[in-house]
Amino acid sequence: MSQEALLSLRQELRKCFRSLEASRTVWGSALEECSPLLSSLGNLAEQLRALKCVELLNTPLAKFPDLQERLQHKLTQAADTVLSKLTEKMDALQVVKDSISKQVFALFQLYEQNSDFLDLRSCVARSAISPSIADMLEWLQDAEYYYRVQYVQRSSLLQMLKPDDLTLMETAPKRWASLDSPSREERISDALFQVSFFLESE
Amino acid sequence: MDGNHSEATTPGRKGNLTGSARKLKDDAADWHNLILKWDRLNDEGSTTATKIVNCRISEKSVKEPDVVEEDGSSVAASERRVNKSSQELQEECVNLQNIVDKMAHVLSKMEKMVSAEKGICELEMFQYGAKGRPAPLFQTWSTQQFAEVSSRLYEAYRQELALKQTILQELAHTANTDLSMVYLSSWLYQPYIEDSTKLLLESLLMETGHRTL
Repeated sequence: MSQEALLSLRQELRKCFRSLEASRTVWGSALEECSPLLSSLGNLAEQLRALKCVELLNTPLAKFPDLQERLQHKLTQAADTVLSKLTEKMDALQVVKDSISKQVFALFQLYEQNSDFLDLRSCVARSAISPSIADMLEWLQDAEYYYRVQYVQRSSLLQMLKPDDLTLMETAPKRWASLDSPSREERISDALFQVSFFLESE
Repeated sequence: MDGNHSEATTPGRKGNLTGSARKLKDDAADWHNLILKWDRLNDEGSTTATKIVNCRISEKSVKEPDVVEEDGSSVAASERRVNKSSQELQEECVNLQNIVDKMAHVLSKMEKMVSAEKGICELEMFQYGAKGRPAPLFQTWSTQQFAEVSSRLYEAYRQELALKQTILQELAHTANTDLSMVYLSSWLYQPYIEDSTKLLLESLLMETGHRTL
């Protein structure tokens, strides 16, 4: 029984890591598409701020009727378009995050169901080609946590943005970039390297 | 005449149109093409205008340290740089001038269409009296409506051209960065061309059978 449980757990671990690897690529490219959108949002905020600061009546543009309102409308509209594109990208990120969470959750459920048959020794045992089950579970849990938190941080950043709050919009690209966490990303790719032999040994 | 009517209302059969219907359908296509051309010129102009503003900014940042610098040679070097950048500025201004001229040309073509369509309306008045022709030339619009749509489109682009001419005159002379930015965004976002303007064009294309549902 214990052998059987061990086998199915290992199989499930392989599946989980494979889908993590795929999800990571999708996540990365979706995130990459966000940065130009964020910077154009910051740019639009800058333009709206400039429009606010300039007294058009004292400029050569004074003769143009409701230029201020019209331009403001155009810029706000453009910002709205960018925000809705960003929402689409966030939806893509959410799909990735949800699929990782679901897989990892299912894996832990399997582990708990079988925990009576899995002795500690076989869970911590590792070999040249395979890390221990305990380590692998931890890595997956860390990765799942990372994507979950990233998603929450990024989506709450976007949810706070409103076209009439210029300061928030202007600082958005910087704050967005500051959410990047190369060290945590690296830990995920390290984990994937460490399981590469394990994934091949079926 | 009646034969013409039934053929005129069949969209997509270009060869059979004659007279006013032919003219109005061609005008609709011209509107589409002229506006495409305008948009291309607008993008080009926006790039050039941004270069002009960047030239001005870099000029300012080169000039300022000169005041504190005592060393003659570096002053000469930065002067050369100023010369070079002012030459570049001059070139970009000429470019922008050319673009605005081309836009003025596009607008003059639009104006011609507006007056031609007014003429078509007058002709119809003469032929059919105040009530106009008994059946519409295409789907539902009266000939009067074509003339109205054309003049509304023309008004929007006329205002835009005036705005662009002002920007052209002022852009290289303003030291206020906020104002420069307002100029740039006014150029790019074309505040006098509204969503309804685009909708007018689309309905014109649909009415004349250039676009199908």
